[in-house]
Amino acid sequence: MAENGESSGPPRPSRGPAAAQGPASAPAEPKIIKVTVKTPKEKEEFAVPENSSVQQFKEAISKRFKSQTDQLVLIFAGKILKDQDTLIQHGIHDGLTVHLVIKSQNRPQGQSTQPSNAAGTNTTSASTPRSNSTSVSTNSNPFGLGSLGGLAGLSSLGLSSTNFSELQNQMQQQLLSSPEMMIQIMENPFVQSMLSNPDLMRQLIMANPQMQQLIQRNPEISHLLNNPDIMRQTLEIARNPAMMQEMMRNQDLALSNLESIPGGYNALRRMYTDIQEPMLNAAQEQFGGNPFASVGSSSTSGEGTQPSRTENRDPLPNPWAPPPATQSSATTSTTTSSGSGSGSSSSSATGNTVAAANYVASIFSTPGMQSLLQQITENPQLIQNMLSAPYMRSMMQSLSQNPDLAAQMMLNSPMQNPDTLSAMSNPRAMQALMQIQQGLQTLATEAPGLIPSFTPGPIGPIGPTGPGSTGSGGPPGPTVSSSTPSETTSPTSESGPNQQFIQQMVQALAGASPPQLPNPEVRFQQQLEQLNAMGFLNREANLQALIATGGDINAAIERLLGSQPS
Amino acid sequence: MEPPNLYPVKLYVYDLSKGLARRLSPIMLGKQLEGIWHTSIVVHKDEFYFGVGGISSCPPGGTLLGPPDSVVDVGSTEVTEELFQEYLSSLRESLFRRESYNVFENNCNTFTNEVVQFLTGRKIPSYITDLPSEILSTPFGQALRTFLDPRIQPPEGSPMGPPNGQS
Repeated sequence: MAENGESSGPPRPSRGPAAAQGPASAPAEPKIIKVTVKTPKEKEEFAVPENSSVQQFKEAISKRFKSQTDQLVLIFAGKILKDQDTLIQHGIHDGLTVHLVIKSQNRPQGQSTQPSNAAGTNTTSASTPRSNSTSVSTNSNPFGLGSLGGLAGLSSLGLSSTNFSELQNQMQQQLLSSPEMMIQIMENPFVQSMLSNPDLMRQLIMANPQMQQLIQRNPEISHLLNNPDIMRQTLEIARNPAMMQEMMRNQDLALSNLESIPGGYNALRRMYTDIQEPMLNAAQEQFGGNPFASVGSSSTSGEGTQPSRTENRDPLPNPWAPPPATQSSATTSTTTSSGSGSGSSSSSATGNTVAAANYVASIFSTPGMQSLLQQITENPQLIQNMLSAPYMRSMMQSLSQNPDLAAQMMLNSPMQNPDTLSAMSNPRAMQALMQIQQGLQTLATEAPGLIPSFTPGPIGPIGPTGPGSTGSGGPPGPTVSSSTPSETTSPTSESGPNQQFIQQMVQALAGASPPQLPNPEVRFQQQLEQLNAMGFLNREANLQALIATGGDINAAIERLLGSQPS
Repeated sequence: MEPPNLYPVKLYVYDLSKGLARRLSPIMLGKQLEGIWHTSIVVHKDEFYFGVGGISSCPPGGTLLGPPDSVVDVGSTEVTEELFQEYLSSLRESLFRRESYNVFENNCNTFTNEVVQFLTGRKIPSYITDLPSEILSTPFGQALRTFLDPRIQPPEGSPMGPPNGQS
């Protein structure tokens, strides 16, 4: 409650009957102004006459703040108010704030607390590097923002770098060396929601100037990035490190088969050098090292000439080891350019799909891969199981046999059909399709026996629209079936209907053949002839073998040879 | 009586994002931010700032951030060093205790604003003090808040919580 100046100080010539006491006072009542006095701890408002002196003001203050007037130091506009000054002299008007410091008796204490605080800062920073880095790294990696407006976050990280990009690299290193942290981060719903926002990811990728240059050189990449469906799929895959791993391994396998196609190796290599390398170099400067930098230079020709009839069962060398770039066979190089079975006739769109997928992959999977690869190298059986899943193999084999199929798959079905285009741009439709896909996935795990029975019917209607959800641009075209093996790592039985199902899915994606189940003899006509030419004269056995392997000649031959006693 | 000494007061402004905010903010936040500003006061040949460790000081430009990105001259003050230290120690017990650091509402810039007003009567530029509200007015900023503001509980099941260093 503001007090009348009269009661708090010596008698003022303001309201008394003897109004004209002092010559200095104005004939009218001096205006009472309200001045706020602010201390570090509190704030009070005072009503004082305008022409008070500082001394008088202090006396009013000392009563309110319960201190001696000589302990009070008033500051206004950077000036220390002396007792003999007046408020007007300093320009203190109504509504302004004056600062007050109350000098404490034990003045040395105030100064000694300061060095102890400085020491306190260091102990705080040393004691909370880990917990702070966990949270800060979420925000700063991969987006590179420090804590907002506070030195606090940085100093408490306990990191020694001053430059922010160094900081970022350091955090990357920390993440690389700590798979638990990476897993934590990946599991973080915030990160996942960010990852699942294709617009955000696209903008992030576009913001990189190298990426922009790359886009200028290869305009297909911009089409790629603008396709929300591809981005969504890519991000889904990137989010799930196990899925990513599986995808990379399977494509690796497919490509190792592709190399046996004449000209295939060269096409792959061209694809890599034209597209992959600049992208990876663009990613390099942000994320610390292109693990495949040495690949282009050390291209081994041995792999290319020898058709791999059996997959390479050794665990592949780890290209993501922290000391950068372990060596490469061409197998490793094919791991980077994970082509969806595109052979010599691969369109650049395919390569770009893949390259963009890999760019994103290199962003998100580099630290996460570390732990996964550790697990996998410890348990090679896991890889073998995954790789020997027959339907996976068969799909890749069939794709590799017929590169046109894959090219068609990429170009025709998703893109040309205007229905799918409109569906893809409609987020609700996409959601519905995703739900369908998820439903199919769940069904596949819950009641796998039901799936083969889907064979003729749903393929038809799902055919043109199905690619929107299942096939869309991603290398593992039938994601329903490809997600199934990720859950059941043990290979299911190599039943004929499953093989046929895959075949039909693939065919449907390419839109090349009618959705009806063709006669296996007709389907495998070409392969049968080849087997005949090779000397396998038992047509029945050939057919069985081909059906069992889904048209894979090499695998069929193995089966045939295995079944013969000699 | 001799004229009192005037001590110059400078505001050191640092961009914590080192330029990234200018590039990425339109994408991430939807609005253009020129930087993530951290400020400190330099007076009496010392730099004073407020962080999770409380009010601290160092030689000017001596923090991890290195030299400031810009320096604003906010005037001069008659406040002596001794008086200033008294003032700071009062602040340490009141508004700017170590545990009262809040990255959005009571951060280094809040501190700087208070001190500059005390020393010179002026305020620091508004683009600095407006930063938290600018960020919080975006959805991204709101999301970020759950991780940076210890008063807000992160959603159930999230492994990320407020860092232990902050109360």
